[in-house]
Amino acid sequence: MNKNKEKLLNSRYRAEKRFQFYGKSAIFLALLFLTIFIFKIFSTGYTAFQKTWLIVPVTFDAETMYLDENPSKEDLEDADYFDLALQTMFNLDKSASEKQQNDLKRMVSYFFEREIKRELLNDPSLIGKTKDVYLTASDDLDQVFKGNYPRDLPEDQRRVTDYQLKIFDQLVEQGRVESKFNLSFFTYPDSREAELAGIASSFMGSIFSILVCLVIAFPVAVLAAIYLEEFAPKNRFTDFIEVNINNLAAVPSIVFGLLGLGILLAVFQLPRSTPLVGGITLSLMTLPTIIIACRASLKAVPPSIREAALAMGASKMQTTMHHTVPLSMPGTLSGTIIGLAQALGETAPLILIGMVAFVNTIPGSPLDPAASLPVQIYIWAESAERGFVEKVSACIMVLLGFLIIMNLFAQIIRHKFEKKWS
Amino acid sequence: MNLVIFIFIVLLGFTSYYFGRKKAYSIQATNTRLTALPQFYGYYLAIWCAIPAFIIYSLWAIFEPSIVKLIILSDYSNQGYLDDELNLIYEKTKSLSRGQFSGEITTYLETSAEKYLNLRSIAQNSKVVLILAIIIASIVYGYKRISSNNRTREPVEKFLNAVLFTASLAAILTTIGIVFSLIFQTIDFFKVIPLFDFIFGTHWYPAKAFVRDASEPLDPSMYSDTFGAVPIFAGTFFIALIAMCVAIPIGLMSGIYLAEYASTKVRQYAKPLIEILAGIPTVVYGFFAALTVGPFLKDIGTAMGLEVSAESALAAGGVMGIMIIPFISSLSDDVITSVPQSLRDGSYAMGATKSETIKKVIFPAALPGIVGSILLGVSRAVGETMIVVMASGLAANLTFNPLESTSTITAQIVVILIGDQAFGDPKTQAAFALGMTLFLVTLSLNIFALRVVKKYREKYE
Amino acid sequence: MIKINSKNVDVFYGKKQALFNINLDIEENQVTALIGPSGCGKSTFLRCLNRMNDVIDICRVKGQIIINDFDINDKSCDVVRLREKIGMVFQKPNPFPKTIYENISYGPTIHGMAQSKNEMDEIVENSLKKAALWEEVKDRLHEPGTGLSGGQQQRLCIARAISVKPEVILMDEPCSALDPIATAQIEELIDELKKDHTIIIVTHSMAQAARVSQNTGFFHLGELIEHGSTDKIFKNPENKRTQDYITGRFG
Repeated sequence: MNKNKEKLLNSRYRAEKRFQFYGKSAIFLALLFLTIFIFKIFSTGYTAFQKTWLIVPVTFDAETMYLDENPSKEDLEDADYFDLALQTMFNLDKSASEKQQNDLKRMVSYFFEREIKRELLNDPSLIGKTKDVYLTASDDLDQVFKGNYPRDLPEDQRRVTDYQLKIFDQLVEQGRVESKFNLSFFTYPDSREAELAGIASSFMGSIFSILVCLVIAFPVAVLAAIYLEEFAPKNRFTDFIEVNINNLAAVPSIVFGLLGLGILLAVFQLPRSTPLVGGITLSLMTLPTIIIACRASLKAVPPSIREAALAMGASKMQTTMHHTVPLSMPGTLSGTIIGLAQALGETAPLILIGMVAFVNTIPGSPLDPAASLPVQIYIWAESAERGFVEKVSACIMVLLGFLIIMNLFAQIIRHKFEKKWS
Repeated sequence: MNLVIFIFIVLLGFTSYYFGRKKAYSIQATNTRLTALPQFYGYYLAIWCAIPAFIIYSLWAIFEPSIVKLIILSDYSNQGYLDDELNLIYEKTKSLSRGQFSGEITTYLETSAEKYLNLRSIAQNSKVVLILAIIIASIVYGYKRISSNNRTREPVEKFLNAVLFTASLAAILTTIGIVFSLIFQTIDFFKVIPLFDFIFGTHWYPAKAFVRDASEPLDPSMYSDTFGAVPIFAGTFFIALIAMCVAIPIGLMSGIYLAEYASTKVRQYAKPLIEILAGIPTVVYGFFAALTVGPFLKDIGTAMGLEVSAESALAAGGVMGIMIIPFISSLSDDVITSVPQSLRDGSYAMGATKSETIKKVIFPAALPGIVGSILLGVSRAVGETMIVVMASGLAANLTFNPLESTSTITAQIVVILIGDQAFGDPKTQAAFALGMTLFLVTLSLNIFALRVVKKYREKYE
Repeated sequence: MIKINSKNVDVFYGKKQALFNINLDIEENQVTALIGPSGCGKSTFLRCLNRMNDVIDICRVKGQIIINDFDINDKSCDVVRLREKIGMVFQKPNPFPKTIYENISYGPTIHGMAQSKNEMDEIVENSLKKAALWEEVKDRLHEPGTGLSGGQQQRLCIARAISVKPEVILMDEPCSALDPIATAQIEELIDELKKDHTIIIVTHSMAQAARVSQNTGFFHLGELIEHGSTDKIFKNPENKRTQDYITGRFG
C-alpha cells in the first residue's frame, strides 16, 4: 500500500514538473519568436543604411555636352549630360564590346547623369577638367559589395554579368568603391530603382494620415467618452452604444477599408490615394480604442472628487470639465497614443483606399497622393529586386522605431502624470 | 474661399464671446445680479453666432454639388443619354471648366462649362450673403436675450450636453456606415450571382470576370462558376485553424505560467515582452512569413522529400498564430488571475499539487473566460489580411493540405480591390459581398465572445 | 497524547514579524480553540500547521512544528503528503465550481485512494454522512456544489476535507459566514468529528470556543499569551490580558 502510494506521489510530482516545463517552454517559444523576428529584421536591414558609390573619373568635355565656349548658368542647366555620362562609364574599359558597354552603363544607377550634372552645377569651372565623381552604384552591385549577392550562381541566373563583376572587382582593388551612410534613404521618395528608393514620401504620408486621424478621433472620442461615462442615462440606447463601441474595437481593419472605399470615395467623392481619406478611415478605427481608454481613466477618478465639486455648488458640467476630465487626461492621452500607434501600423484599409499607388513625389499636404510606411513595406516586399529586401527591413526598423517611441511615450505619460488614488 | 468663410465664422465666434462677456460686465456694473458667470454670457453669444452659420454652411456644402449637377444636366435631359453617359458629360464639364480637359471639346461642352462656372460663382456669392445675414440675425437675437439678463448657463450647458451626445453617436454612425457601404454593393452582387452559387460554388476565379465595358449589357451567364466562395471560406477557416493550433497551446500555457508560477520579476519582464508581439504591425509579420518562414518550411520540406509551396498555408497560419499568442496569453492571464484565491486554497489544503489545482480547479472555473478569449483570437485570425496577402498565395485553391497555398476572404478582397475599381461591376461587388460575410462572421464571434467574458466577469465580481 | 508540538515558531511577512516564539502543544482527538482579537496571528499560526503560508510569497516561517515525530518545516517534508494528513476548512465556504460528487471525490482522486467507481461512491457517501449532509444532498449529487446554501456549502467543505481521512483538521473561523442555525449544526459536527480527528479551530466567538473545545490558546499581538484547558482559561486565567479579553474589556 505504502509502496503504491510512493509511486503515485512520484508520478504526481513528475506531472507537476512536466506541466511547469510546458509553461516555461511556451514562454520561451514566444520570446524565441520575438528574438528571431527582431534579429532577422535587423540582420537583413542594417545594410540598407549604407549605400555603395563608384568613384569614377569624369572628364567634363564641353564638346560631349554640346556646350559653347563660355556657357551661362542656364546653358549648364539645360545641357545634355547623357552622352557625357555614357562616355564616362565606357572609359572604364575602352576595349569593351557593344554588349559590354551596355553592361558598363548598368553598373550605376538609372539616373546617374543627374549626379554628374549636379557636380558640374556646383562648380562650373570643372569644364575641360577631369574629376573623380561619386556615382550611385546599381542596386545589384550595391548588394554584391555588401556581400548579399550570390556570386557563385551560374551567370544566366543572376542579373549581374561576369563582365560587370570583373570590372567591379577591379574598381574595388583600385579603391574606387566606397560605402557611405545612405542619406537618400530618408530624403528620397519612392522609386522603381532600388538604389534610389527612399521613404520620404511614405513617411510624410504616414505623418499626414496620423495627424488627420488625431484631429478627428481625439476630440470625438473624448467627448463621446465624457458623455457615456458622466452624463448618459442608463438605458437601452446607451447600452446599445456601448455594445457598438466594444464590437467596433474588434471589427477587422479591412472592413474599415471597405467603408472608406464605399462611403468616403464613392459617395463623398473625396480624392483617392490621399492621406486625408486614409486618416479619416484610420480615425474611425481608432475611435473605439480611445473611447475605451478615456472611459477607463474617467472611471478611475474617485466619486469623492465629483461629490466635493458638486457640494461646492458646481454644476454637473462644471464638475466634469473642471475636475474629472483634467484628472483623467494622462490615461486618455496614453490611450490615444497607443491607438495612434496601432493606426500607424495599419496597412489593409489604406491599400483599399488606393494609398498603394506608386508615388514618386513627396506629398506636401494631406490632399496629395501618398503611401504610408506600412504600405511602402508592402509595395517593396512585393518587388522582385534583391535590393528591395534590405530596404523593406530598414523601413520596418524605422516603423518599429516609431512604434516603440510612441509606446514608451504613452508609458511615461501614464507613470509620470497619472494620479494614484489610494 | 471655403476656408476663408470657415475662418471668418470662427473669428466672429471668438469676437462675440468677448462681446457677450463685456455685456455681462456692464450689466454687473449697474448693480444687477447676474444669473451666471460672465463667461457663460460669452459662450452663449458665441454659440448663437457660430452654430446657425455652420449649419447653413454645411448644408450648403452637401447640397450644392448635386443641385449644380442637376441644373447642368437638365440641358441634356431629353436627348436619350444613359445615366453613366450623363455622369461622364458632367465630369468632362467640370474638368473643362478647370481648364484641365484634354479631349475633344464640343460646343455643347463649352456652353455647359461656362454655365457651370457661372452657377458656381452665383452659388458662392449667395452663400456668403446668406451666411452673413444669418450671423447678423442670430447675433442680434442672442445679444437681445443677454441684455434682458436671461439665463445663460442652462442653455450653454444644454448645448454642450447635446455636443457630447452627438459625439457619442459616432460609434453608431460608424457601424451604420459600415453596413451601408457593404449592403448596397452586396445586394447588387446577389442580383447577378445567385446567393446559392456564392455560398456553395466551388470555383473562385474573379480574374475571369474582366472589367466589363459600361455600355454593354450585363450578362449573368458570363459569371457562372466564377464566384463560388467555398474555396475561400475553406481557406479562411483552414488558415485560422492553423493559427489557433499555434496560438492556443503557446498562448494558454504562457498565460497560465505567468498567472500561477512566474515570480513577480519574471512576470514583470516576460509579460510586456510577449505583448510586444501584439504591437508589431501585421505587414511586418507578412514580410517575415514571406521572406523567412515560407522559404524555411520549403527547405525543410525539400530535405524531407515533401512538395512544399513557398507560399504555404502553414507559413501564413503559423506566423498568424505567433501574432495571436499575446491576445490569448494576456486575456487568459487576466481570466485566471480573477479566479478567487479561496478556490486555490481549498485545493492546496486538500494536498493537491499546483498543476493539479490548475488543471482540475482553476481551469474549469476559468473556462468560460478562456473560451471567450480564444473566440476573440479566432475573430482576429479570420479578419487578418496582410499576412495572408503576403505569405499565402492569392489563388483560391480548395485544399486542406497545409503545404499548399490557399487564400482567404480578406486576401481576396485585397486582390480584387487593389488598383482600379469600377463600381457597378460584379467583380468589385464580389469584394463587398465578401466584406459583408467577414463583417457578419466576426461580428457574431465578437458579440458571443464578449458576452461570455462579461458573464464570467460578473460571476466573480 | 500530544499530536502536534510547535517550538519557537516565528513568522514574518516581509520585514514585519507576525508571530513571536510560539510554543504550543495540541492534544490528539481533542478540539483546540485558538482565540484572540483580529490580527493577533491565530489564523497565521493555523496556516503554519499545513504550510498554507507557502502560498504567500513574502511569508517566512522559522522554528519547528513537529507532527508524528517529524518537523514539517524541514526541507525533506513533502507538502502534498502533509496536507493530505492535515485537512483544512476555511472562513468562507469555498466549494469548487463542480458537482457535489466531484467536490468530494477530488481529494481521493488526486491521492489515488479509490481503485474503482464503487469504492469512490462509498468514500463520497461516507464523507457526506460524517459531515451530516448526506440526507440533504443524496438525490442531487451531480448538481453544482455552489448551488447549496451557505451552511450546506460549509458542511460540503468539511466533507471534502474528511474525504481523504486526515489526522488533523484545521478550521479557520468556519462559522463566521453562517447563520446561528447553521453554526449550531457545524458545532455539533465538530464534536462528532473529534472521535476520529484532531481538530484545531480558530474562532472569533469566545462562546463558541467554550462550547466546542477542550483546550484553548489565547493569542495577542502575535504572541501566545496563555494556553491550557478551556475550563481553566475561561474560569481561572493566569494572565491579566487573558482575563481582560475573556471579560470583554478589549477585542
